[in-house]
Amino acid sequence: MSGWQGKLLRVDLTAGTCKTEKLNEKWAKDYLGGRGLGSKYFVEEVAPDVDPLSPENKLIMAAGPLTGTYGAANGRYMVITKSPLTGTIASSNSGGYFPSELRYAGYDMIIFEGKAEYPSYLQIHDDKVQLVGAVHIWGKSSQDTEDAILAEFHGDAKVACIGPAGENLVKFSCIINDKHRAAGRSGVGAVMGSKNLKAVAVRGTGGVKIADPIAYREAALESYSLLKQNPVSSEGLPALGTPVLVNVINQMGALPTRNFQKDTFAGAEAISGETLAATYLKRNKGCMGCIIACGRVTGLKGSRFSGDGEGPEYESIWALGAACGVDDLAAITKANYICNEYGMDTITAGSTVACAMELAEKGLISEEEIGMPLKFGDADAMVKLIEMTAKCEGFGEKLALGSYRLAESYGAPELSMTVKKLEFPAYDARGVQGMALNYATSNRGACHVRGYLISPEVLGLPEKLDPQATEGKATWAKIFQDFTAVVDSSGVCLFTTFAIGVPQFANFCTTATGVTYSDEALLEVGDRIYNLERLFNLKAGIDPSQDTLPKRLLEDPISDGPLKGEVAKLDQMLPEYYQERGWSAEGIPTDEKLQALGLAS
Amino acid sequence: MIKVEFYSLLRLLLKLDKLDLPAQENEKVGQLLQRIQRQLPTPFLHKLLDDNGELIPGTIILINRRNILHLDKLETPVQEGDVIAFFPPGAGG
Repeated sequence: MSGWQGKLLRVDLTAGTCKTEKLNEKWAKDYLGGRGLGSKYFVEEVAPDVDPLSPENKLIMAAGPLTGTYGAANGRYMVITKSPLTGTIASSNSGGYFPSELRYAGYDMIIFEGKAEYPSYLQIHDDKVQLVGAVHIWGKSSQDTEDAILAEFHGDAKVACIGPAGENLVKFSCIINDKHRAAGRSGVGAVMGSKNLKAVAVRGTGGVKIADPIAYREAALESYSLLKQNPVSSEGLPALGTPVLVNVINQMGALPTRNFQKDTFAGAEAISGETLAATYLKRNKGCMGCIIACGRVTGLKGSRFSGDGEGPEYESIWALGAACGVDDLAAITKANYICNEYGMDTITAGSTVACAMELAEKGLISEEEIGMPLKFGDADAMVKLIEMTAKCEGFGEKLALGSYRLAESYGAPELSMTVKKLEFPAYDARGVQGMALNYATSNRGACHVRGYLISPEVLGLPEKLDPQATEGKATWAKIFQDFTAVVDSSGVCLFTTFAIGVPQFANFCTTATGVTYSDEALLEVGDRIYNLERLFNLKAGIDPSQDTLPKRLLEDPISDGPLKGEVAKLDQMLPEYYQERGWSAEGIPTDEKLQALGLAS
Repeated sequence: MIKVEFYSLLRLLLKLDKLDLPAQENEKVGQLLQRIQRQLPTPFLHKLLDDNGELIPGTIILINRRNILHLDKLETPVQEGDVIAFFPPGAGG
């Protein structure tokens, strides 16, 4: 095989064995890799009703056929499992250098099954693979874990690991690789922790075979050129990173504030990308092979907090900031560092604290129970609660369940700003109708990187749509969701899609693998992946009634800013979306659709 | 007066975040942009407009928080008391 390494690693943690297997070529062609191919293996091997934290659940780390090649920003991988937070199929994306190293060692994916008897980690040095004890690093932060492994295994290894939050089974713990990059959402870190798997360390010295190297090089040069010409990828993201959006989205009136009670934040300027660049930003940083380099290397020198690290990104600034009414960028950055050290999703962590703040505001939780006064805008309380969550200490044990279970336990689930129990990211969908549809229909819950309709509806890329209009949004949502599934399965960063599109991806996939992908065929791969995930969720009990939004977004109009008076008009779009997808009026994929995609059983 | 706000790369480029200007009768956004450029020593219009003077895809110009793409684009009138925000193309997520 070209593009694909043609090999996967199967690790039985219960038995302590590691075996290599030939990659299923038919599946690879139909699902590419990463999110798609990982999901195909997962649904073939795991019962939909599996307890996510039981040994019967599996955890798959999957790179794509482009991961580790030059070309655009080809350093991504996905983690696929059943989410302990949502009960849906989870696939969580990360970049850095670990994904490429896995491919250089000769593997497209690793399937972890069972549960180790004691804390362990996996060492991979090309074809030498072994499970070793991790009792001595259990409890360490993600950064200290990596340092310890590099010292004892191989100085040039790349490491993906969990921090204490994953060990503590925090339902939204993540997997950190290269110290600061996160497969962040859906609680994939808790699944790793439930398996007593602390880390994966890989050293690879091989390369990736390309089917047509000359044509691939031309494809890469075209993409580099487009990325360099595009002002977002060539200037905006390197200079200001994702936090550039704080002021944009706030000015548009779609920055959810105080747990979605307001949509403009008076403190936005103080926590903006421009302010970060003028204060704690040291430099930007890229993942493997990336010429965008949107990463933020930061330090808190000169502030009332201490520490160095990476981030915060836009979504993190929002969740730990505006969502909690906090306008202290140093506190936000500190909380972001804590999330990375302990291995915890910043979006759900911040949103859950915001939910607790509203529960306290409404008198549904007492100060005694929380262990401290808790009000919107209290930066110190936010930082403290983030740390208590990661450690599952005191009230943190309740926060570690996520906002839905927290709010439900106090009889107010409507105060959890979630879809399918996954917390929203930093865009209020009441003012952005296509995004509302995407949130409601995303296979992993309220997620912005399943169909980023903010791009056309708010940012005007590739063209400007009216954010309040509902007409045509079903078509846009499907195309964005299907294309995103392709990008997630190829091993390329989603941010490249601000500059390159389906034709460039089709060219990359064709010239790398030798399998001809037309634009249409590639989007059909995305459609197939989306339906595969949908089928798993339906069998797992996530029925179409959950294709909805919180009451606050559907019924309570935005109370301030330029979008005042808007609500999410989901009922005007959902039937058309189901039709666009080839599903029944009830939201079930039809036999004809499944036949066409090769998914019929 | 009209209040002009610069964001993102414009702020880094111009080292300026705000500017107050007297309103001019019958002025449109496109004309205002040219007037601002004449007052500032650093070229910045190329961050917002292409060689033909059209808005670069992704450029966001807000008048009182309304995107001019949903008004009259560069022909949108500017009036006394307006707040105008300029964002060059940007994205993240």
